[in-house]
Amino acid sequence: MSTQTPILAADKLSVRYGSFLALSDVTLSIKPNTIHSVIGPNGAGKTTLFHALTGRVRASSGRITLDGQDITHVSDDKRVPLGIARSFQVTSLFQNLNVRENLRLAAQGRNPLQALAPWRGVDPRDHALAVADEVMERLELTHVSDRAAGELSHGQQRRLEVGMAVAAKPRLILLDEPTSGMGIDDVEAMKALIRDLGRDHTVLFIEHNMGIVMNISDTVTVMRAGRVLVEGPPAVVRDDPEVRRAYLGNMITGDIA
Amino acid sequence: MNRASLHFLLAALVAIALPLFMRSGTLASEVLIFAMAAAACNLLLGYTGLLSFGQGIFFGLGSYAAGLTLLHTSLPLALALVLSAITGAVVATGVGWLSIRRQGVYFVMLTLAFSQFFYFLAYTFKDITGGDNGLLNIPRPAIGPFSLGESWAYYAFVAVLFLLLFAALQRVASSTFGRTLLAVRDNEERARAIGFPVRNFKITAFAISGAVTGLAGALHALLIGVAPLSNIDYHMSESILIMTIIGGTGNLFASVLGAGFYVIVSDLLSSIWPRWLLLLGGLLIVVALFMQKGLWGLLERLVEALPMGRKSSINSSIESPIQPESEGRGI
Ligand SMILES: Nc1ncnc2c1ncn2[C@@H]1O[C@H](COP(=O)(O)OP(=O)(O)OP(=O)(O)O)[C@@H](O)[C@H]1O
Ligand SMILES: [Mg+2]
Repeated sequence: MSTQTPILAADKLSVRYGSFLALSDVTLSIKPNTIHSVIGPNGAGKTTLFHALTGRVRASSGRITLDGQDITHVSDDKRVPLGIARSFQVTSLFQNLNVRENLRLAAQGRNPLQALAPWRGVDPRDHALAVADEVMERLELTHVSDRAAGELSHGQQRRLEVGMAVAAKPRLILLDEPTSGMGIDDVEAMKALIRDLGRDHTVLFIEHNMGIVMNISDTVTVMRAGRVLVEGPPAVVRDDPEVRRAYLGNMITGDIA
Repeated sequence: MNRASLHFLLAALVAIALPLFMRSGTLASEVLIFAMAAAACNLLLGYTGLLSFGQGIFFGLGSYAAGLTLLHTSLPLALALVLSAITGAVVATGVGWLSIRRQGVYFVMLTLAFSQFFYFLAYTFKDITGGDNGLLNIPRPAIGPFSLGESWAYYAFVAVLFLLLFAALQRVASSTFGRTLLAVRDNEERARAIGFPVRNFKITAFAISGAVTGLAGALHALLIGVAPLSNIDYHMSESILIMTIIGGTGNLFASVLGAGFYVIVSDLLSSIWPRWLLLLGGLLIVVALFMQKGLWGLLERLVEALPMGRKSSINSSIESPIQPESEGRGI
């Protein structure tokens, strides 16, 4: 496995917000068809890492490669057709558009230039619509398909947020705290979904729920203060003394199945 | 019947009703010409969320382009109109390309600056534009076998173009492109994150809006036989915006209402009371404070209040002051 080209790799990646170094020399390598989680205390730079990998913020130094190709200077919208999609920690939907339209747009984003033709209508047999319906089914949103996203309950909005990334049918899917703010039943369903996504996508996700992290990850990266602290399989990471110290000893409680 | 066909039917009804109720063919033509300009403005304001003070530029340049073509060449009328649409589209692409580099207030300020810039350009190049006097004596040649000399004949010509353009704009609004514009208006950051090159979408919206506005400007110049400096003035941008906002930004037909109201009321009031603009200002305040869906929203409420009107739906009984344009989706 270790000789395989990583699907996504970051090499000494740094991000600055003004004079503040939020990400400092992060080197990371995501193996294809694995579930890779990123953990770390608040403010560790996990979301910033996602922002840099997806192009939302510019790297101040370092390199990002997708399948060995340098994408450091590719803009965020152009990384989607290359097969990278993400969900956000802070829900960001098209509030006035209905659930189906939100997902149709997310699916269309894989072929964005098709949508630039002002005379091209939305065919009922449209591929993007079919994807939207499939994702609604998968995330149990079908019964609210015609409701505006802004009218959904918090849990439903969180599911739709994850669905937006799924609808892009990416090769690499990045989920930023997919279970945050969810009820217990939803958390279990989300865990099952992430595991399921791992079958035909590469998954990179940020999560505070150690039960999920230790249970379904192939690799765990621990971050602290903008740096990678430890990386390895769940069992190794859980028993690492540095990690225990970073988490003040009591946050890693999840058991390993 | 779906909403798009209903709105097209309403637009056709307006085009048919105007000659029945109005004595001046010139005024009736003016209503439809500004309806086109307002609908084009609505594509930017209502669909894309762009408050552009540049609409007067495209309108004025459309007037000049048609005027200059007809005065200095022997090209047919249709070609003069096409040229003014192209002029509008090209300049709108440039203005849009530069203005959308900034967002919010700074975007608005940039369009305003362009508006001033083009006004002074037109004012300065008197040899070409006629400066203060305007470009005079623009002929109105026949189109094929049809003479457009008589004011109602010209109205018929304008009405046909109006309906064609209205249908085309409806098509644009309901296309994947138009639906992506709605997404951009709603959440630009997310639209980019899911893969849409937002700037290209905004520029294309500008180009389409500019083309329609340029054509409207040309029709206006032909209507009055002059391409006046006032057509490229900042006040033109303002008037087009006011029509659009008074009508309502939720759908394209609302802009027809807004333009009709503005043109007809200005005509009535300006003859009785020279300070009628005060009233218009008052109305604008009322719209901004209490009826953000504009005249269209008012009409909707009236229809619902009728005993045989549609049963009031949950959507329309909840007046959301922050989302006045949520109606825009289904056009
Ligand atoms: N836009 C920004 N401007 C300035 N500083 C920022 C910005 N975004 C994040 N930061 C800072 O960068 C650091 C890392 O933030 P980041 O959001 O990446 O942390 P995180 O690991 O995702 O935390 P959490 O678990 O709370 O989501 C924090 O100190 C934060 O204050
Ligand atoms: Mg975060």
